[in-house]
Amino acid sequence: MNSVIYKKKAPLLLFLLPAFAFMMVYLYYPFVRNILNSFVEISGLGTAAGAVNQPWYSNYVNLLQDPSMITALKNTAILILVTIVFQVGIALVLALLTDRAGKGAQFFRTVYFFPIVISGTALGLMFNLIFLYKGGMLNQLLQNIGLISDNVDWKDEKHFLLTMLLPVIWQYVGFYFVILITGLNNISADIYEAASLDGADGWKTTWYISLPLLRNVLFTCLILAITGALKVFDLPWVMMGSGIPMDRSWLTGTYMYNQTFIRADVDYGSAIAVIIVILGVVISQLANFIFREKDY
Amino acid sequence: MKRLLATALAVIMVISLTAGCGGTETTTTKAADQTTTTKADDTSETTTGSEEPSGPVEITVVTSYGGDDGNRGNYEDAVSAYEEATGNTVLDASATSDEEWKSKVMTDFEAGTEPDVLFYFNGVDANPIIEGDKVVSLDEIREEYPEYADNMKEDLLVPSPVDGKVYTVPVNGFWESLFINKAVLEDAGVEIPGADYDWETFMADCEKIKEAGFTPVAVSLQEVPHYWFEFAVYNRGNQDNHLNLPASSDDETGAKWAEGLGDIKALYEAGYLPDNTLTASDAETVQLLADGDAAFLIDGSWKIGYFQENCADNLDDFALAYVPGQGERKATDLVGGISMGYYITRKAWEDPDKRDAAVKFVEHMTSDEVVSVFATTSVTALKDGVIPSDDLDVLQLSAIDMAAGATSLVGAVQDGMSAEARGDLFANIKNIVTAKITAEEAIDSALALQ
Repeated sequence: MNSVIYKKKAPLLLFLLPAFAFMMVYLYYPFVRNILNSFVEISGLGTAAGAVNQPWYSNYVNLLQDPSMITALKNTAILILVTIVFQVGIALVLALLTDRAGKGAQFFRTVYFFPIVISGTALGLMFNLIFLYKGGMLNQLLQNIGLISDNVDWKDEKHFLLTMLLPVIWQYVGFYFVILITGLNNISADIYEAASLDGADGWKTTWYISLPLLRNVLFTCLILAITGALKVFDLPWVMMGSGIPMDRSWLTGTYMYNQTFIRADVDYGSAIAVIIVILGVVISQLANFIFREKDY
Repeated sequence: MKRLLATALAVIMVISLTAGCGGTETTTTKAADQTTTTKADDTSETTTGSEEPSGPVEITVVTSYGGDDGNRGNYEDAVSAYEEATGNTVLDASATSDEEWKSKVMTDFEAGTEPDVLFYFNGVDANPIIEGDKVVSLDEIREEYPEYADNMKEDLLVPSPVDGKVYTVPVNGFWESLFINKAVLEDAGVEIPGADYDWETFMADCEKIKEAGFTPVAVSLQEVPHYWFEFAVYNRGNQDNHLNLPASSDDETGAKWAEGLGDIKALYEAGYLPDNTLTASDAETVQLLADGDAAFLIDGSWKIGYFQENCADNLDDFALAYVPGQGERKATDLVGGISMGYYITRKAWEDPDKRDAAVKFVEHMTSDEVVSVFATTSVTALKDGVIPSDDLDVLQLSAIDMAAGATSLVGAVQDGMSAEARGDLFANIKNIVTAKITAEEAIDSALALQ
């Protein structure tokens, strides 16, 4: 840290300036503008802001009374939980199994990571075909093996949650899998060798060596999963746009988009966006506090 | 030296970040200056306004001829012909028309990234761009190009609700009517509906169709309840009062709307709509008619292209009939009109290079030849009418017969609603049919946003 370049701060600041200016123009200014927009009447994108709402905080009061917003918050909370348990959980199990696969690890790493490189929109369309009511892959399969006789509406009020969450979980398992397997690779082989000499079997090695040494990586994954769940939009929107069924499947992101772009209630959409940011900051800080890294 | 280099690099990066903003202003100023010069020259030299551009130019065009629009192929052919004839290039950013597309178009104008030519609605949806002086009226264009849109009937050019001026040159109008699957009707023992089709007969037919194991009506109430709303409301009124908007659910028009929405609820409760009408997409339900699983579908003239493309092998299974009438509305009273047309934006008009290219583009796309290809079965504003084609298929011929038998054509009342109110009302139709709210509550909720 004694490099010459750091003794004088001016060049350092100069290099930071472009990124700072970029963030100010394209992130913080729109964010502040968005907060202001949530207090004024804007009926449609492209229309100028009108008078200040009466009372000025009316959109926030409406949010608390809006059943669809409450549904969106509940569904987002469920998504966070499901993400933690299944996305990170399945990724951990796969990583531990693949770690033992030796040379085949690279193959599995590619296979499990692949869904990440496909766009959410394309995946949404694919799953729409799988869950299609008439002629959908799942209904045909279940009918052919005799499990159902009539088509099942996988997007109805009984099934919509599973239909929406399953593809989201499936898409991101590979992402956490790659992070976790990289963490496992970083654990020194000497430790496993020593444990083996001491008579530790596979399960004990996992429980007493792999998992404790993977703790920080695992917690990083949890924080990424929680903050990622708050931002999920594309896949649920393609599959469940407009809150299918009966406004039951809203997430905070899809509901904000619907209010702003479809229902043309821009100021209300802005208020929802503010809530999403607040939730994101609070929950990620909470997650950071709970899962903060420890030195060994 | 290193410090100097670092400083220079950082300065370049900052400048490059802000270059876009400065560039716009410079271009505008330059364009404005050139426009002033051009106008002065024009006055002294000619009134045709057809100044020669400096060379081939690139214009951006946004239309609703995107996705699965029946005229997408015709549009691409017409654009290619324009490019070939003029040497200009068209950057096409067309998409399917829906509420999202409308919002995007408006956002582009707000952000200053509007196209040079826009094919868009001429009703209240365009109010913001007209109030903001973002598009050019025909009067202003004709000062420079006197022959602009002179192949159109003046009384069919739709004036803006904002200032009564005409801004758009139409291609073709639309009608909304009843598509039927004749094979399904035959299998269910139901006669093909005629010009006197009434609601009572329709409900009886639906029962027969349902008993025969088919879905009577293909509609996605969660996504596109628009057409059924339009006719259900029309059936409870007449041609003179159809375009009236209610002030509340208690007044005469509000009561009419509530009754119309009640008719949709009756269809749902009787089981005449698809099992998954509350979760299916519009594409899924249209597919039911195409696959021979449903009998009736209300849709617009643009849907003909879908059947031509997807059902070429059994196109004669499909035909156009009339939406059943009720009360004062006869089945042959259609909903339709000329609701869209080409705008030239102020930005293109004030750019001397693009002005001529934009005008020529609209003139080409609204010429008798091109409009005739697009219109085929729908109404146009052409003075000389469409150039007849002897290459029509059975569905087009059926559509021409249906349109020829129409006794009146009235606009869509939903076009008079704000996007916010319309969105709220249509989103609540699923709640009305499942009795989560009453039709009156849904109407009042929408009107509060009007």
